[in-house]
Amino acid sequence: MKLYSLSVLHKGATKANLLKAAYDLSSFNFFQRSSLQEFMTFTSALIVERSSQGSRASIKEQEYMCHVYVRNDNLSAVVIADIEYPQRVCFTLLDKVLEEFSRQVDSIDWPTGKPETINYKALDIYLSKYQNPREADAMTKVQAELDETKVILHHTMESLLERGEKLDDLVAKSEHLGTQSKAFYKTIVSCSEIHNLPS
Amino acid sequence: MAESGEEVDVLVQRVVKDISNAFKRNPNIDEIGVIPCPEARYNRSPIVLLENKLGVESWCIKFLLPYVHNKLLLYRQRKHWLDREALVDITSTLLLLNPDFTTAWNVRKELLQCGALSPEKDLYLGQLALTKFPKSPETWIHRRWVLQLILRQASAMSHKSPNNDGGAEQAECGRSQELSEHLSRTLHQEMKVCSDAAGRYPSNYNAWSHRIWVLQHMAQGNIKVFHDELSSTRLWVSVHVSDHSGFHYRQFLIKELMTQAAARPSQCVSSMATSNGEVSAAESVTLEQKQLSFTSVLQLFHQEMELCSDLMQSFPGHEALWSHRRHIFYLCQQGRSQLQGLCSRSMEDVESDHLTDGDPDPPLILHHSCAHPVQSVNGQRHTGEPMEVDGFSLSDPHNRKRLKRGVLVPNLPTLPSEHSFISSVLEELHHPEHRRFALAYRKWLDTVGDLQS
Repeated sequence: MKLYSLSVLHKGATKANLLKAAYDLSSFNFFQRSSLQEFMTFTSALIVERSSQGSRASIKEQEYMCHVYVRNDNLSAVVIADIEYPQRVCFTLLDKVLEEFSRQVDSIDWPTGKPETINYKALDIYLSKYQNPREADAMTKVQAELDETKVILHHTMESLLERGEKLDDLVAKSEHLGTQSKAFYKTIVSCSEIHNLPS
Repeated sequence: MAESGEEVDVLVQRVVKDISNAFKRNPNIDEIGVIPCPEARYNRSPIVLLENKLGVESWCIKFLLPYVHNKLLLYRQRKHWLDREALVDITSTLLLLNPDFTTAWNVRKELLQCGALSPEKDLYLGQLALTKFPKSPETWIHRRWVLQLILRQASAMSHKSPNNDGGAEQAECGRSQELSEHLSRTLHQEMKVCSDAAGRYPSNYNAWSHRIWVLQHMAQGNIKVFHDELSSTRLWVSVHVSDHSGFHYRQFLIKELMTQAAARPSQCVSSMATSNGEVSAAESVTLEQKQLSFTSVLQLFHQEMELCSDLMQSFPGHEALWSHRRHIFYLCQQGRSQLQGLCSRSMEDVESDHLTDGDPDPPLILHHSCAHPVQSVNGQRHTGEPMEVDGFSLSDPHNRKRLKRGVLVPNLPTLPSEHSFISSVLEELHHPEHRRFALAYRKWLDTVGDLQS
């Protein structure tokens, strides 16, 4: 049960603008952390770009779950967790973070703000506190059922893409990803292709 | 980049040297990894030391691995001579890149046997390899071999016949204490390596079964270690509710504690006592002590079931929790019948020798709460006087909770209590998977009930 990243973004007309993010990559190999962090940023932005206003969605990608909430005012948040982590707690966290963020940061700054200039420091605290959902969230036991019908579920990242679009191309074009991360992506893809070969 | 044979030779030798120098420069390296980097950067070593992390740039692996591999094979075929130092360097490099290469571990076994390599250094290499390959079976297998070597060396040292003069005996004593400290350090280090590997790879069966092996071989009968392990893995399983391996480990711990309580109850009580006060080693084993240590184990069952129910409520729909519940229930049934055996024996004893107050219907009274088993042993009353245990019967529901001080016999899960647990789950929760597991558990309980009746 693990949360890897928590980010707040603004959904613009074509692109999502990253406002603030927190990461916990301690469970990964030290030399992969920077690449994984870039991938989480890239993925979070992509998901917000492809989700519609006023929607909640959960996207499964290999052993990760990405939960996204895009509010009607375009302020959005994404949490990347593992599959074990309870979905309802994730959406509670997203609600809470956006509520707080919108109170503390002026909406004028949302479309153009940068992580370095936005003054909101609670993300790291939330990320570490919610690593143990039973302690962070008193509601865990009550099971206040999230209206699951309202959450869209995607079984892969690919289903977010438009017809003819390929994840590989988006990775290659992305400005969130450095050359090392792109190389890293290529090795992952070639590994998983080898594993998926019919025997 | 270097493609001709000679150039590769030079490059690889430099890299092997760089790796061994990195370890000399920083003896605290605690993680290794590969840095994705398709092209070599001119005139820069592919070995990167950052904080306590050792990285190898990915481009050089395709040169490095076949080279060291071949070199070692040639040595094994006696076609190429390598001195011990070179062997240590080459096997380290090789195993950090591919820890499942058995031949390299075997070469290191020979180096260990002839004393050219210390067991600690070898365990350290394995530990680093596991940071990159946390499941690597060969690494775990080799570790067990090294640990056995350490144990053999230790027992050889402790069995050395002591000299007759007193000074040597004292030195002997100091040495044996040093030895046991060394072994307990090794044990703790192993536990750390196991939990690290379990954190890096979900359901890491190899790591957890190694952990069991270590306890079986290095902590046999050491109740404190088992209790510590039980409490230290509690948080871990609470945040890894779908990892069966962690729960299986706890099942093993509880079962061992139960077996040990039945076999060696005096040790059980005294080892728990050492943290609170001193207990003479020659303490006689009374039946009461037996019951005491046993009821404390039953308390564990109770706590484990509570934890299980708690986690199920917080995180519905995980099969690992349900299978854990089955196993604990099963163990508990076993424990209960063993305790009943003990109790009926104590009843006979009490009636034949100790029953002085003439109570015709001895109620279930035990004179201490589980949390302070020491006092019962240290207290004045234990010297020959009849104990306050007048005998008790678990099967009598009325007597069950009649305790003088504190709760001793915990509410153990029974078939009816489990059935009502299932009903409450089915009533409250609408999680489809969770309901399915609950129904399967009910079915299982029915077959267990049939077997018992």
